[in-house]
Amino acid sequence: MKKAGTLFKITTLFTFLGLFVFSSGAHAASKIVIGHPACLSGKYAKAGEQAVGGIKACVNWVNKVYGGVSLGGKKIPLVYKYYDCESKKEAVTSLIARLISSDRVNVVFAPYSSGLTLRGAPVAESRKMLYMDHGGANNKIFRQGFRYVVQTIGPATRYHEGTLDMIKKIDPSAKKVALAYEDSEFAKMVMFGAEVHAKKLGLNVVFKRTYPKGVTDLTPLLSAMKAARPDFVLGGGHFEDGQLFSRQMADLDIDVKALSLIAAATLPAFYEALGSLAEGVMGPSHWEYGVKYSEAEAKKVGLPWIGPSQDEFVALFKKAVGKNIIPDYHAAEAGAQVLAYVLAVEKSNSLNSDKVRVALGDLKFMSFYGGWDVDDTGMQVGHSMVDVQWQAAKRVIVWPEEAQTGKLCYPMPTFKEKAKGKLAVP
Amino acid sequence: MGKRLSTYGPFIPVLALYVIIFLVGKGVQGMWQVMAMLTFYCALGQAFNIFLGMTGYVDFGYVAFLGVGTYGMALSITYLAHQGMTGPAVIIIGFLLALIFPALLSMAVGAVALRLRGAYFAIATIGVNEGFRYLIEGAKIWNGSEGMIFTSELNQVLGRDTASGLSTFWADVYLFIIAALAALVTLHFMRSRIGYALTALREDEDAAKVMGINVTKYKIIAFITSACFAGLVGGTSWALKTPYVFPPEVFEIHYTIEAIIIVLLGGAGTLMGPVIGALIYGLSKYYLSIILPGFQLLIFAPIIIVIIIAFPDGVMGVVKQRLRGTSLARFIE
Repeated sequence: MKKAGTLFKITTLFTFLGLFVFSSGAHAASKIVIGHPACLSGKYAKAGEQAVGGIKACVNWVNKVYGGVSLGGKKIPLVYKYYDCESKKEAVTSLIARLISSDRVNVVFAPYSSGLTLRGAPVAESRKMLYMDHGGANNKIFRQGFRYVVQTIGPATRYHEGTLDMIKKIDPSAKKVALAYEDSEFAKMVMFGAEVHAKKLGLNVVFKRTYPKGVTDLTPLLSAMKAARPDFVLGGGHFEDGQLFSRQMADLDIDVKALSLIAAATLPAFYEALGSLAEGVMGPSHWEYGVKYSEAEAKKVGLPWIGPSQDEFVALFKKAVGKNIIPDYHAAEAGAQVLAYVLAVEKSNSLNSDKVRVALGDLKFMSFYGGWDVDDTGMQVGHSMVDVQWQAAKRVIVWPEEAQTGKLCYPMPTFKEKAKGKLAVP
Repeated sequence: MGKRLSTYGPFIPVLALYVIIFLVGKGVQGMWQVMAMLTFYCALGQAFNIFLGMTGYVDFGYVAFLGVGTYGMALSITYLAHQGMTGPAVIIIGFLLALIFPALLSMAVGAVALRLRGAYFAIATIGVNEGFRYLIEGAKIWNGSEGMIFTSELNQVLGRDTASGLSTFWADVYLFIIAALAALVTLHFMRSRIGYALTALREDEDAAKVMGINVTKYKIIAFITSACFAGLVGGTSWALKTPYVFPPEVFEIHYTIEAIIIVLLGGAGTLMGPVIGALIYGLSKYYLSIILPGFQLLIFAPIIIVIIIAFPDGVMGVVKQRLRGTSLARFIE
């Protein structure tokens, strides 16, 4: 009888121990692992290197400054595990499977680009693994019914929303907008969003056309656009066509109050190629060095703040990549994704993908990257693009107001004035 | 029985390798997608080998056949889902389109380009994939440059769980079948009049003509067969496994380059060569990307050069020579 009692006690003890171990898997974690099939070579190598640097910088900040992720009353360190997918879809699926099965990661960060993000999504979904997208801007990703995909980068349709809002606020009389974009999946998505938003603001789209990739002469398109007499122009696609666009607008004396070009206008090479003709030209960007997002700004708009300051992030990034370079938006958005994940884990007090996914859906915060909020589909809706304008050979952030480093020069100088050396100074 | 074994004996080791790949994928945790990647390279190599290996002609526009095959499957799923059609019939129609589209394209390309030889043929085909891509984008065919994303349509057609299973498992199984079928067709060609004619034209096209062989006919047969298998590979690996199509991604020339490397590494014109080439290529790239992320190509390039120098006829070319006269020779082609 005594023996039976002892056996009962031992069985009960083991049962409770077992229940404790299995019910609090998150509490037993000694590390939280972020997995990433990064694009370190191939066509997205530049963006991929930046993303890896941004993630390393923020992982470092979480571990060293923030003290780790609060989970089950403990501070757990983050570990970043990445492989090179060579920007190729065949490697993406095999590496994601390895990260989930062999490396036992807690979350997978998608590779750069919409295509590669889509390639990995079915594998992550089938393993019920949270899959965070920092480089796929295509809105259609979020119309496919994926349950575990959450976006940090802003969707393509919102690229020019800020530009339109800004012009509407500064000059309500500017009603006629021309849209001229490259014929590519990304640029057409941007154009679609710009058109919808322009109509929502009561603007008239007086011209809308695409031009082919690798275009060498935009004169016919620009001549037709000139005839439509727009107040301002939105367009672009890549660096080459962006600078051709500006140069040929100057050749044809097409003067408008504002010109905003995606991809090209935010690059230093744009000013190097065009010189003073680039003065006053704007471009949207997810993030630019110099943005004024800070703890104080977060308080002002009623959002919680997390993460390093902008300068801290830049210093951590330089240390992570071992080069004295300024991070671009690819680094910032990937870094901000780390912070979003940390907050969601803390909020849900779990590493379970379903619970963290719910927490991410409820999460709103601000970091050096700006605002963060996703809708029910996982699409990013809380992050505003910043608009950058070339003023006296410098890139000045002119929108949104909480991030701006200077006022907008509006209307921008005419191309003749710019050719004579006039600078865009507000 | 003995005659059948000597005819189809070389298929046994190829099939055995596919079975091993399948079993490793199923049995070792986390290896399924790696094995799926290897199967893609095997299928790509087997399909490409039917034309390059048997004729000696290098088709630089080969990826276009994978691209149009992908579009065949994508169009079937997208448009039939919008018509309210559901069930496996949509996928079967997709496979049919993935066969028909590359067959039509290869007929059109072959009718012109196969009149050329050697470098002239290679140059003529370089433009095919880029030309077709610009046609789709410029003429706004099949959604133009925006491409198609059809995960939700695939869910609608098959149901969410089946669609997920298709993308992450069954598409890879189909790829095994396609690769094995491509090997079987290659062996059938090798053992038939078509194979003899192709071997003759590969060795000396003028002499083959003088001997009364209709070289154009046999080249076109090999070209269309190879293109059809490419279309099936595209429709399976790039549409069913990855439910999206963006023109720049499915007409990317580096897949043609990969196919050439795989076939030459393993041994052009051999049955087992594409499988061996795919395994060397896929496994070394995969493990190098894990051991040295970001630097793997620096190591990989010299490895390829060393293999090509050590095995000028490909790995299987050397193996065939070594086994000549032995009892194992009948299993190696």
